[in-house]
Amino acid sequence: MRDAGLSIVGDTAPGFPARQGYGTRAYGNTSPGTPLARWLLMRPDGRVTIFAGKVEYGQNIRTGLAVEVADELRMPLSAVDVVLGDTDQTPWDMGTFGSQSTARVGLQLRMAAATAREALLELASQRLDLPREDLVMRDGSVASNADPGRAFTYGQLVDGQTIEREIDEEVALTKERDFTVMGSDVRRIDAQARVTGRAVYAQDVLRPGMLFARILRGPSFGARLVEVDASAAEHMPGMVSVVRDGDLVAVLADDDESADRALSVIQATWEGGARGSKIDIPGILAETKRDPVAVQETGDVDEAFRHADHILEATYYAPHVSTLPMEPRAAVAEWDGDKLTVWAGAQRPFGLRTELAGMFRVPESDVSVISMEIGGGFGTKSWYPTGAEAAKLARIAGRPVRVAYTRQEDATEGTFRPAALIEIKSAFGTDGTITAWQCEAIHAGPMGYIAQRGAQTPYAVRDVAVHVYCANTLVRVGSYRSLGAAANHFARESHVDEIASTIGLDPFELRMRNLSDARYRSVLEAAASRFGWQSGVPPTNRGVGLSIGEDVGSYVASCVELAVEGREIRVRRVVTAIDCGLVVNPEGVRNQVEGSTVMGLGGALYEAIEIGEGSILNTSLSRYQVPRITDSPEIEVVLTGDPGAPSTGAGEPGLVTVAPAVANAVFDSTGQRVRELPLKRQLR
Amino acid sequence: MALRVNGEEREAPNPRRNLLSYLRYDLGLTGTKYGCGEGLCGACTVLVDGQPLRSCMSNVGAVAGGSITTIEGVGTNGSLHTVQQAFIEESAMQCGYCIPGFIMAAIGLLEREPRPSRDTVRQALSSNLCRCGTYLRIERAVIRAAGGPR
Repeated sequence: MRDAGLSIVGDTAPGFPARQGYGTRAYGNTSPGTPLARWLLMRPDGRVTIFAGKVEYGQNIRTGLAVEVADELRMPLSAVDVVLGDTDQTPWDMGTFGSQSTARVGLQLRMAAATAREALLELASQRLDLPREDLVMRDGSVASNADPGRAFTYGQLVDGQTIEREIDEEVALTKERDFTVMGSDVRRIDAQARVTGRAVYAQDVLRPGMLFARILRGPSFGARLVEVDASAAEHMPGMVSVVRDGDLVAVLADDDESADRALSVIQATWEGGARGSKIDIPGILAETKRDPVAVQETGDVDEAFRHADHILEATYYAPHVSTLPMEPRAAVAEWDGDKLTVWAGAQRPFGLRTELAGMFRVPESDVSVISMEIGGGFGTKSWYPTGAEAAKLARIAGRPVRVAYTRQEDATEGTFRPAALIEIKSAFGTDGTITAWQCEAIHAGPMGYIAQRGAQTPYAVRDVAVHVYCANTLVRVGSYRSLGAAANHFARESHVDEIASTIGLDPFELRMRNLSDARYRSVLEAAASRFGWQSGVPPTNRGVGLSIGEDVGSYVASCVELAVEGREIRVRRVVTAIDCGLVVNPEGVRNQVEGSTVMGLGGALYEAIEIGEGSILNTSLSRYQVPRITDSPEIEVVLTGDPGAPSTGAGEPGLVTVAPAVANAVFDSTGQRVRELPLKRQLR
Repeated sequence: MALRVNGEEREAPNPRRNLLSYLRYDLGLTGTKYGCGEGLCGACTVLVDGQPLRSCMSNVGAVAGGSITTIEGVGTNGSLHTVQQAFIEESAMQCGYCIPGFIMAAIGLLEREPRPSRDTVRQALSSNLCRCGTYLRIERAVIRAAGGPR
């Protein structure tokens, strides 16, 4: 199957595991004999469609990728269409996480677009009988330099042809000075769908003949279903059937409310499961720490501690927090014989496809997963059991089935940010030079990569030992914007502030004295300068604090101003400088950093889940506080990146500096050093 | 029983039908979102006779005889409402899931108070949640739609 026009095909995006053996089997749109995936199609009508396995959950990647392609192809943004996260149409992709979309897939699409540009130049050269040096590309046309009236649109050039070219990885990319779209503020290309209600999310997918499902959930973690009596549900109006498949018990009904009512009358007996109301998560972390990983080891910290002027030891704690995207998980599954289609809000559509193919023992090519617009993900929607639940129920029912979680279900069946217990011991001179740094960071759960993120110290310290550990967890942990970096930064940047106050040095000065990396220094200077950071101003009820950080290759620094009134902390102003290399869309980066700031404030000030009787007590928004419009401070974002440097992520780094800067400002204001998040609960 | 939805007469057989479910699953007007089912997030906000209402906490019988406007009924034949336009101009959105609810709440506010102060905007929208954190942009969009700050 080949579409008319000019197709650009290639491997999966550089840097992804496809290069190390995932190979061609994994491509979404692969058919036998065409081992490479299609990334770009220039159509005879002059429009271009680009294909990427990434998903859109607010990070504005649809616009960002379109901008990159428009610039490389010298065509208007309005002529670029974007297909995302559809396993039948897009190149295989590992998943949308780790702020990799612009860095990797964006680069791949730029190369694809530049390859297309070269092919169009060749075609024009033949049609106009002119050497390529005499041609100019502009606004979707190729014209003669000497006689601009002699021109062909891209559509005319590919009309009647079916050409396939492989991505040329050596192709010249457009230089920064020639960007017309990249680097300027661009509004979202999908904005109109969002303000008119036409954007379709997984919760909005409705199929003909579809049944509404509700699934029976246990009362506590680890509880086992012993007995179920669904007789009261079976003859209720609107009910279609009660399904039991192993541990999965569900009601299927003609409408959502009938399913809700039927579920509520099912009698179930459970056994086992977690108990107890006093649960000491820091204690569990300390007792069950395992799988140490040396993240950083240089010199000899013990020796350095023996000769230190000052030694400071402190322990920091960050609790589990709820990710709480506005859209609870949902999926609709539909079988056609042995072929399955699932519409979902999954951050890993290809991962979900593999899971479904394995579960039903069908080839991956018979499973289609379509990721819809996603109503917030922040990492947690990499975990998407909803797809398999819907597929199982649809298989049994022989009709399309919709599984849509309630708010409470999305919390309990989803994932939480791992709690973390972090001990830091430092040695430093009276002049503020840090001479030794020892950090032991324990993060809940089995995933060491979560704990490692952001654990290393950026300061130029000679003797360093940083170890991270996994530990037991009561709740399901998973990805959350910046993974463990938020907790690791909170601990480190709080600790560095404690060093500053111990010797009476300004926190900005102390950091500058210990930083040698130019990118760290420049973001810190930029944030402090925009903020108007002044050294040595005595504490008032107006507190200021700062912190620095690095995540997914981007450098950040934040300054915060707040007021503490009793136990209320009012954050008034946040300035964050970010260096994420080449900025494709400044508007997009600012929006991401603003959003990260607001989300970071929730975790800094009041977010934490409460566990009791083996379940999460505050799954309702009535008991779980998140930032509101009335809590939003003034936020300024300063972009300092070098446009000549590769693009790095912007979706997560803005979060890591928020909690420590706020904690440091609380200390500045009140003299209270709070080492445990959320700050509001600890304030005296 | 009869009610008007976006200017059209509609039949609703069951007065106890949840209003949000009726709009989304019976009429297919999925622009109005389910966010929490407890009236705490504002994603399901619609206008009933111009007043914002949490549709998840209401039923069809409670709004019988009323005129309901959902996000699909905002703006006229192909042209956007000034509030929608302002949200686009301020890039006041990320994932967009909460945005229809915010727009309905903002339209309701501007009906009552055409030139609100920043503080009034914040108070009026304080029980609509945006987890992506686009609040500053939303505030600016509403002020822009009102023709500037009071």
